[in-house]
Amino acid sequence: MKATFADKFWTYAILLTLAVFVILPLSIAVSQSFMTNAEVNDWPPKLVPSSPNLDAFERVLTQQDMRLDLWLRNSLIAATGYTLAVLVLCAPAAYAFARLRFPGNNLLFGFLLITIMIPPQITLIPNYLLMRDLQWLDTMNALIFPGAANVFGVFLLRQFFMTIPSELEEAAVLDGAGYFQRFWYVILPLSTNAMVALSIFVFLGHYNDLFWPFIVTNSLETRTLPVGLAILNSAYAGQFRPTVLAGAVLSSIPILIVYIIFQRRITEGVMLTGGLAGR
Amino acid sequence: MSQTTDTITESKKRNSRLPPISLKMREVIAAYAFIAPFFLFFLIFVVRAVIVAVRMSFYEWHILRPSRPFIEFQNYLELINDDVWWVALQNTLIFTVITVIGTTVVGLLAAVALIRPVRGQGFFRVLLYMPSLLSVGALGLIWVWLLNNQFGVINYFLSFIGLGPYNWLGDPNLVLPALSLTTIWWGFGFPMLIFIAGLQGIPEQLYEAARIDGANARQIFFRITLPLLRPTILFVTVTGVISHFQVYGQPFIMTAGGPGRSSYTVIFYLYQVAWTSFRMGYGAAVAVVIAFIMAAMTTVQFFFFSERVEF
Repeated sequence: MKATFADKFWTYAILLTLAVFVILPLSIAVSQSFMTNAEVNDWPPKLVPSSPNLDAFERVLTQQDMRLDLWLRNSLIAATGYTLAVLVLCAPAAYAFARLRFPGNNLLFGFLLITIMIPPQITLIPNYLLMRDLQWLDTMNALIFPGAANVFGVFLLRQFFMTIPSELEEAAVLDGAGYFQRFWYVILPLSTNAMVALSIFVFLGHYNDLFWPFIVTNSLETRTLPVGLAILNSAYAGQFRPTVLAGAVLSSIPILIVYIIFQRRITEGVMLTGGLAGR
Repeated sequence: MSQTTDTITESKKRNSRLPPISLKMREVIAAYAFIAPFFLFFLIFVVRAVIVAVRMSFYEWHILRPSRPFIEFQNYLELINDDVWWVALQNTLIFTVITVIGTTVVGLLAAVALIRPVRGQGFFRVLLYMPSLLSVGALGLIWVWLLNNQFGVINYFLSFIGLGPYNWLGDPNLVLPALSLTTIWWGFGFPMLIFIAGLQGIPEQLYEAARIDGANARQIFFRITLPLLRPTILFVTVTGVISHFQVYGQPFIMTAGGPGRSSYTVIFYLYQVAWTSFRMGYGAAVAVVIAFIMAAMTTVQFFFFSERVEF
């Protein structure tokens, strides 16, 4: 399709408007994190600091009750652990549902599909009490295991495994491969795209979760980044606005670096995940 | 089909050693071994939890009190007469409607522009998805300041065109639209990517045929693109309603439910009941009702859009 002039004009008009809509809040937050406490309270608001300084960054990194380093580490470990747990639990189950014949295959899978309709909030209170009884409160276990049986993950991977031609597996069968070997050496290597897409999806979902980490952690050292930022905001918003913004900026840098490196994989992963789920 | 050929090839190979029945059994055993770890976790953290939640909702279950009497439907009756609950539900519905419409429209607009073959397409796609990657913590911290009534940049920009100043997060009538705006900024990336995938799936011949018949851009959009995007719109709105109905972080960080209770949402209220008042039984009832509402909304929406489109 060739783009006409009018077509191009409207396309750029929309894209530039949206780009400004997206960039403006980010750039203002970055810019104000380099200002002094007094400067952010000027009217009219300054969009660029008159003399950029790093006070806010210094404060957010040295303050006793702020542990961005620990919170970031906790978030990364918890989200990585959770993602691995989801893959380890969901991929074999998805393989069985996609390829193996066993009594109850359709029944169990249908049951799982129905449970997608059940919102996770209903499980919060019982699972919180279970964490308490297991003495898992304030530990990584509470952040990793309760949501690991991800039905969506089974559904997504099953859909994908079903598109892999069964001839490939038959060749492995002729070579004497058992079920696990077929799964491990044939199916998984052909499914890296789907696995990466699912990983990105569950990783980001977990990394950004606030509610569950907020209720199952309660000491400064075990908080995750979103919880820590929420606390930072309630403690410092009044007087130290640049400090709070510096916290927001610093905490976003790692994920944005990952995004810029893997942007194609991430956007395509989201499309693949959404596309498969939408079927 | 695939499984049949599978089994046949396999039985041919092993017939000499093992009777066929054992092969079938092997497959069954393997299958259960593959699903067992998943179902172990699923039973503990989902099935058990749902059953316990429903059961708890019939009890007066306070975390600090040892006695937990069975009170039949008292929790549910209390909920029906609970003004705060109704306020929270109404707020959540308003927020969800505005946010889902907003993210869908902005996402569709962005997607329509992004599939045009123009320079910088890749750059814009990367840029426009960027807000979706921020954590709700960073999002809240950034926007609570932008929306500040005294020093916020949004009021500053509005003053150029003679509007404001508005007390976005302090005015009961503005707080939900303000939180929606924040969430639209944050959340339009997902619908955008799904719409891009949907738009790429529409065959180019349909557009060409329409152009040959003399259709203009607007007719093409409303007569071809939109109808063919129906399944995608269904998916985007269903997932949007489900995720935005669960809104919690934005009011928690940006307004603490205020002013008054103007930005209480149902999940925010669930938190208050269960983890501030420690009324776990009543909280379980709130959670059960939230679950029913979400399941009902999903079902309704599904039937509304269920007509499938074939190219």
